[in-house]
Amino acid sequence: MKSLTLDHTSFWYPATASPALRDVSLDVAQGEIVALVGALGAGASTLLLVAADLAPRVIGGRLAGAVARRDRSGIVLPTPWTQTSGMAFTVWDEVAFGPANLGWPTHEIARQVDRALERLELVPLASRDPVTLSGGELQRVIIAAILAMDPGLVLFDEPAAELDGEGARTLWRLIRLLAKDGKAVLLATSALDALPDVADRVVWLENGAVRAVGTPDLLADVVVCDAGLGTSVATVWRAGGLPEPYPLTVADAVQRWR
Amino acid sequence: MTGARLHPFTLLAIAGALPALAWILPAPSGGTVTAAIGLTLAASRGLRRGLWPAVLTAAPFWLFLLLLHDVPTTIAIGLRITTMVASFVWLVAALEPARLVDAMVAAGWSASVAYLLAATLSAVRVLKARARRIVEAQRCRGLSPRGGIAARLRALRALALPLVLSALHEVDERALALETRGLVPGIRRTPLAPPPDPAVEQAARWALLLACLLALVRRFVVPRFT
Repeated sequence: MKSLTLDHTSFWYPATASPALRDVSLDVAQGEIVALVGALGAGASTLLLVAADLAPRVIGGRLAGAVARRDRSGIVLPTPWTQTSGMAFTVWDEVAFGPANLGWPTHEIARQVDRALERLELVPLASRDPVTLSGGELQRVIIAAILAMDPGLVLFDEPAAELDGEGARTLWRLIRLLAKDGKAVLLATSALDALPDVADRVVWLENGAVRAVGTPDLLADVVVCDAGLGTSVATVWRAGGLPEPYPLTVADAVQRWR
Repeated sequence: MTGARLHPFTLLAIAGALPALAWILPAPSGGTVTAAIGLTLAASRGLRRGLWPAVLTAAPFWLFLLLLHDVPTTIAIGLRITTMVASFVWLVAALEPARLVDAMVAAGWSASVAYLLAATLSAVRVLKARARRIVEAQRCRGLSPRGGIAARLRALRALALPLVLSALHEVDERALALETRGLVPGIRRTPLAPPPDPAVEQAARWALLLACLLALVRRFVVPRFT
């Protein structure tokens, strides 16, 4: 079942003549992970804001085309320090801020918060003051805060930007678990090497328009690699002048080499 | 008495009544009493967190008043301003924004209004944390916040500009984040831990209001009939 459908959607930011999104048609089903890739300014973050019903409702601008959302969405923005409530003196209270705003009963809030803290491995930090956390810890707190609101559609904008290698691996595992739970996930990321193991589909955006859609194998495509959006293995293979098709992952490269 | 465990409405009532009484009661005796109470309350939150910020914030006002007025007027207005400053500093130090939100929501206020009020109070804490990070970053680039007045002024400029600009820059993204975290008009927020509001504190709040009204009557109404 479709959680999000964009039908020939275009979006203009306030006081701009050219659209940031151009005629985008895309759907994300429950249990599916769709990754948006593209150069800076390609429109991935804008697409997430439209999907989250923040553009144009909150930030202004103009929308053309249709956007249908079946589930409540939650978006994780790239800078965690701007997403704290400013109201909480503990991580637990910070994560509970959103669920409390939904008017849930206290026991349900506690259940969701505890579950989110466990999933993000934040239980040892539950009583810490959020302003004392590192960037990576705070990023995990914000992800937990969004997940505690139990959104059906989860939107991530560069979710691994503040995380170290282990933190990023935990996050990718969690995203797969979210999809397994039936949540629809739409993520914009430049961590291309993670996508073969994480994403079900990859959408290549260029200048606000969809250039190509496919399985993660797309990240080993010659044209995609030429645009600088291939995985590291594909990019190295190409730089080495080795024959096409390019391998997507290290395992693919080893297999090809043999 | 530190005040931290009082109901947030009681803290607000005290912090509001003291400046009101300072301006209503005859000077300088009224202002002396309220300033003494205000500074005592501020000191109860600690020297660094309460008393020094109150004294240092009030001091420039005394200087300007002395330049503009005679000594009796300076003392009269200075004590009133000191009461206002000390009360506010004490309130910011004693009142947890989250408790205020819970108290207001439990009392039937809109969560958005409660957040607006509480965010104003919590801004001090958030800006202090950010200022600390900016100072650390400036230190890494060789700017020392210590030394003579000229060096400190240079450091202050290097702190103030990024602090203000970053706060303004983040407004848009913070608005999006709050929206996505459910803080929208018309919500019915669940108070996570509504603070207890004992009858004695409710009575104390009414007594403070009554005291302000009586002082007002004594100051402005009674003299007309005598």
